[in-house]
Amino acid sequence: MMRLPVALPMAVIASCAVFALALLLPAVVSGYGIRILNLALISAIAVIGLNFAFGYAGLITLAQAGFVGCGAYITAILSTMVGLSPWLSIPIAVVGTGVISLAIGLPILRLKGHYLALATLGFNVSFVIVATNWKSVMGGTDGISSIPPLALPGWPIANDHRYYYVVWFALALTSWCAWRIRVSHLGLAMIAVRDDEIATGAASVGVTRIKLQAFALSAIYAGLAGALFAHMANFVAPDDFALSHSIVYLAMLIIGGEGSIAGSITGSVIVTFMPELMRDLGTAYLIVFGGLMLVILIFLPKGLLSLVNLRLGRAGTLR
Amino acid sequence: MQQLVQLIVSGVAVGAVYALVGLAFIMVNEATGVVNFATGQMVAIGCFLAVSTSLQLGLPLGPAYLLALAGMVFFGVAFYAVVFRPLQDRPVVTVIIGTVMIGIVIQNAALLTWGSVPFRPRSPFGRQVVDVFGAALSAHALFVIVVAFLMIALLYFFIYGTAIGARMRAVAQDRDAARLMGIGVDRMFVLTWIIAGLLTGAAGILVGPMWFADVNMGDPIALKAFAAIIIGGFSSVPGAIVGGVLVGLAEMLGAAYISSAYKDGLVFLVMILFLLVRPQGIFGERIGQRA
Repeated sequence: MMRLPVALPMAVIASCAVFALALLLPAVVSGYGIRILNLALISAIAVIGLNFAFGYAGLITLAQAGFVGCGAYITAILSTMVGLSPWLSIPIAVVGTGVISLAIGLPILRLKGHYLALATLGFNVSFVIVATNWKSVMGGTDGISSIPPLALPGWPIANDHRYYYVVWFALALTSWCAWRIRVSHLGLAMIAVRDDEIATGAASVGVTRIKLQAFALSAIYAGLAGALFAHMANFVAPDDFALSHSIVYLAMLIIGGEGSIAGSITGSVIVTFMPELMRDLGTAYLIVFGGLMLVILIFLPKGLLSLVNLRLGRAGTLR
Repeated sequence: MQQLVQLIVSGVAVGAVYALVGLAFIMVNEATGVVNFATGQMVAIGCFLAVSTSLQLGLPLGPAYLLALAGMVFFGVAFYAVVFRPLQDRPVVTVIIGTVMIGIVIQNAALLTWGSVPFRPRSPFGRQVVDVFGAALSAHALFVIVVAFLMIALLYFFIYGTAIGARMRAVAQDRDAARLMGIGVDRMFVLTWIIAGLLTGAAGILVGPMWFADVNMGDPIALKAFAAIIIGGFSSVPGAIVGGVLVGLAEMLGAAYISSAYKDGLVFLVMILFLLVRPQGIFGERIGQRA
C-alpha cells in the first residue's frame, strides 16, 4: 500500500537541502568524477520516468533503455544531419519519444506481468537491431559522432563542469514535475491501477488510458535523458541503449526504492558510482555487483531509502 | 532445392535447441512460479562444462557429456538453494530482476573461469556430412534433432507417465493442496530445478559444436527461447517444440532469403505480433494475461 503523500516539512527541507548542496559539487569534484556524476543524474531522470510506469502504475517494462535511445538518436540525427540547434532538437526528441511510446503502448499495454516484460524486451532488442543495421540514418555500430554540444550565447557548455548545471537543472525540474504529477489526480489514479486494477476500473477510471499515460510519461523522461546524454557525450552508439541498460534502470529503481522519486535518484547515483568504487576488483566487479543487487533485493525489498525513512520516523517518507 | 533442405534441417536443429531451453523455462515457471531470466546463462554453463570435460580434460565425448550433465544436476540444486529459496514468494518483478542479476553473476564467473576467447567444441560426428536426396546435411545437425526430440519424449513420459511426474503436476496446479495430499513439495521443486539444469545443459552441449562456445552466448539463446514459448504458448510442451522449430526456421530461412542483418528482428517481430494477436500462443493457456 502506498502512503498518502503528506509532504512533511522534514522531507521537503531535506530534499531541497540535498539539491542545493549538489550545486556546489563541481567545485570539489575533479574532471572524471563530474562526468560520472552527470551520467548519474541523467540516469536519474530516466529512472524517475521509469518510476511512473513501474513504481506507480506497476507496469513491468524492460524498454526504458530503448526509449532513452530514441531520444538520443532523434536529437543526434536532427542536430547533425538536419543541422537544427540542440535547443530545438531536444524538445523534438522528447516529444518524438513520447509519440513512439504511444504507438507501442497502445497495442502492448493490454498485456500484463511477464508478458508485458517480454513484449517490452522485444521492443528494446528490436531497437538495437534497427540502430545497428540502419546504417544510412542511424550509423550502424559506429553510431553517430560529432553531435554538437549545447551552447548559451557567449557561454558554450562544452565541458563536463558546465554541463553539470544543465543536468542539475533538468533533474530538479523533472523531479518537481514528477512530484506534482504524483500528488495530482493522475498520480493517484496510477497507484490505484497498480493496487487493484479491477476495482479502479469499476470506479470508472479509464484503466487503459491511465496505463498509457504512465507509459508515455516514462518514455518522455527517458527521451529527455537520452537527448541530454547525446549532447554530453557528443556521440551515440547502439550499445549504450541495449537491453542490459533497461535492466540496470530497473535495478536502480528497486535499489533506491520503487514508488519514490528520492529513491529513484538515490538508486541511480549509487548504481552509477558502484563500478568506480569497485574498480580495484577488475573483471570480478560484475560478479560482486550482481551479488550485491541480489542481497539488497532479498533483504531490503523496499530499497535503500527504506533505511533512511526508518530513521526519519515512519511518517517522514519522501514518497 | 538442396539449399532449402539444408536450411530447413539446420533450422530445425537450432529450433530443437530453443525448444529444450524453452522447456526448461516453462518447467520452472509452471512448477515453481519463477520466471527464470538466467536460463540462457545455464545453457552457457552447460556448454562450457562440456568444453572443460572434453577439450580441457581430454575425456572421450560420451563420458565428457555425462560428466557435464552431472555438473548441471549440481548446478540445478545450487540454483534452487541460492536463488529460488530466497526469491520464492516475492513479486514477479523482484524475481525477474533477481534472476537477471544471477545471470550477470554466472556470466562473469564464467568469463573469469574460461576467459573471453571462444572455444570450438568437437561434435561426436566431426564435420561428417550425410547425403540425403542429393542434399549434404550436417551429421551433427541431425544428431541434435534426434537427441533433442528423444529428450523431449523422455520428459513427456516422465511428466505424464510416472507417479513422480503426476506429483510434479499436482504441485504445479496447486501447491497447498499438493502439500496437504502429502506430496513433498520442496522435493518436487528441487527435482524441477534439476530437470531445468539437465535440459539447459543438454541444449548447451548440443549447440556448442554448431556455434562457438562463448561466455556471452546465454542471452541470445534465451531471447530466442522466450520468443519460441510466446509463439508456442507459455505453458505448453508441444507449444515450446513448435515455437522453437518455427523460430529456428524463421532465423535460418530469414537469414538466407530476406536479410541476414534483420533475422533476429524478424523473430521478435513475429513474437510481438503473437503477443498482440494471440497472446496465448498456438497451444497455450487461455488466460493470456495471467500475471
